[in-house]
Amino acid sequence: MAADNGKVMTAKEAVNKFVHDGDHLCIGNYTVGTCAELVFEVVRQEKRGLTVYSQSGILDVDVLVGGGCVNRLVSTYVIRVGGRNGGSAVERALKAGTLQMEDYSNFQYNARMVAGMHGFTFMQVFESVMVTDLFKKRTFLGEDKYRVIKCPYTGKSIVTVPAANPDVCIVHVQRCDKHGNAQYWGALGSVAAAALASKRIIVSCEEIVEHDIIRTSPNFTIIPAFRVDAVVEVPWGAHPTEVLGYYNSDRGMHAIFSSADKTGDGMKAWLDEWVYGCPDREAYIDHYISRFGSKTLDEIRARTFYTTPANFGSAFTSVWDENGRSRNMGVTMEELEVILQEQGVLYE
Amino acid sequence: MSKPYTLNELLTITAAQEIHDYENVILGIGVPTTAGAMAKALYAPHAILMMEAGLIDFVPLIPLNHIADAHACRGMSYMTDLFSTFTMTYRGFVDVCFLGVGQVDKFGNLNTTVIGDYYKPTMRLPGSGGASDFIAYSKRTVLTMRGGDFVNKLEYFTSPGYLEGGDSRDKSGLFPIGSGPSMLLTTKGVFRFDPVTKEMYLAQIHPKVTLEEVKKDIPWDLKVAPDLSVTPRPTDEEIDFIRQFNPAMAAGRQLAQDLTVARAMKKAEAKNGIA
Repeated sequence: MAADNGKVMTAKEAVNKFVHDGDHLCIGNYTVGTCAELVFEVVRQEKRGLTVYSQSGILDVDVLVGGGCVNRLVSTYVIRVGGRNGGSAVERALKAGTLQMEDYSNFQYNARMVAGMHGFTFMQVFESVMVTDLFKKRTFLGEDKYRVIKCPYTGKSIVTVPAANPDVCIVHVQRCDKHGNAQYWGALGSVAAAALASKRIIVSCEEIVEHDIIRTSPNFTIIPAFRVDAVVEVPWGAHPTEVLGYYNSDRGMHAIFSSADKTGDGMKAWLDEWVYGCPDREAYIDHYISRFGSKTLDEIRARTFYTTPANFGSAFTSVWDENGRSRNMGVTMEELEVILQEQGVLYE
Repeated sequence: MSKPYTLNELLTITAAQEIHDYENVILGIGVPTTAGAMAKALYAPHAILMMEAGLIDFVPLIPLNHIADAHACRGMSYMTDLFSTFTMTYRGFVDVCFLGVGQVDKFGNLNTTVIGDYYKPTMRLPGSGGASDFIAYSKRTVLTMRGGDFVNKLEYFTSPGYLEGGDSRDKSGLFPIGSGPSMLLTTKGVFRFDPVTKEMYLAQIHPKVTLEEVKKDIPWDLKVAPDLSVTPRPTDEEIDFIRQFNPAMAAGRQLAQDLTVARAMKKAEAKNGIA
């Protein structure tokens, strides 16, 4: 189903082509509307040995870890379901010693991506971290988790984090054209930096729209086409998380996941049913409807609340006026060509 | 005398009163967003509510599930990113932020990362998220704790309060002078920090709670304000706001969950033609 530009493909094709064992894989979304279908596809294809970057892990990180894909995790936040008596796939893997995690604060993690996005080698972060265990306790990044340097202007000690340039970013957005101009709005979080810092980018979207839609709302484009490798159209691609303007998060499905994620066996059964048991998102939604009916999905569909259009217009769209005369020089094209001839500046 | 109220309502109202008019406020999920909505409606109409996902000057339509919730996006004034939200905090533009607590020591330092050894965890908690950066540079920080612990020594130092107490935070040169936690709100009372020693003391005690019940959670000899008062009774206006905006919060987590499950069961039975 590849379109003429070759970027439009299925999640299966995109993950197969652009995610490799041992990659540094970045989850581009932050807390809201994660790229659930792309995450599920990584698990279905049994990718192994990944180093995952996640600004704030929700179900996405736990599914990847529970699916056995991840050796190392760089993050600031992971879910814990069920409070003190609960647990998480991340906790189980840390205890089993199959996962190493490097902890940052939200700003520091994002600063690594911003540095990577702009091609810098490091970024300054807030000096307060020096008194904390974030700074003092390090795992696989060791000395390179943070380094302290002297500011050449003030002489003060400043803390830096190294740039991150993950091999591949998976990210879900509202809409995208077939070229890969990805539009995202709402809580911007760190989505753009995560994607732009990465070497390859797989965009999934609720809908592929005409290029003209993008050209009439460029302020919503967060990833330009020339950086994008694959465009995957997946309606309900973030479910059970939410997509602003499309659907709310599905609390019932979150509750089912949370209950499952308390134990390894629960997680395995959940993955069997919802990830391995559904070859793609269409099958997942069909399965959902067969279990719960379509009414639940209808109930969480977003109502409309449109932005006020902004005027992107300028005075002219051509240097030639309505009479075919140059607005500045006052001559027509024919008159200009005669003058050029008369002046002897044309080469024969 | 105002109408009867629940403990959750008392906690939310007590938190809301920490927000003053014209302040810039960073909120977290749970008690803080409901408190923020209430402050904006009742006491602080010009407060700017913000969340770290880059949502600035929002008015929550309904209680929020997370810090990037779609229900905070409709009608906000400024849609920015996480990087800018933190740098505006670093530059001193945030007056007060609200943080949840896993472990807290007597100087308001926090652990939200791990119980047990970091490298061999007994329990992995969520982590820093934005907490470590916010408590460092917000002018004030309000801590809310439910089910967390008071400890003599944190098992992991995630977020800086008053460090070793006294002037150690200010003297470190790493924080804005005068910043730090201003209050810790728990299900038993309100704790504040001594202006000189920076050690927390019990400032208010909630109704139906005894001093012994507060002290038994605390492994050091807790100081108590000489003028210890009972947390003031909410007004009808405050109680009505919470019940209208967030009835599940008013009910409390357990009751809300029980009612939700009962409703789901009833719906399922009706669908199967049993009921």
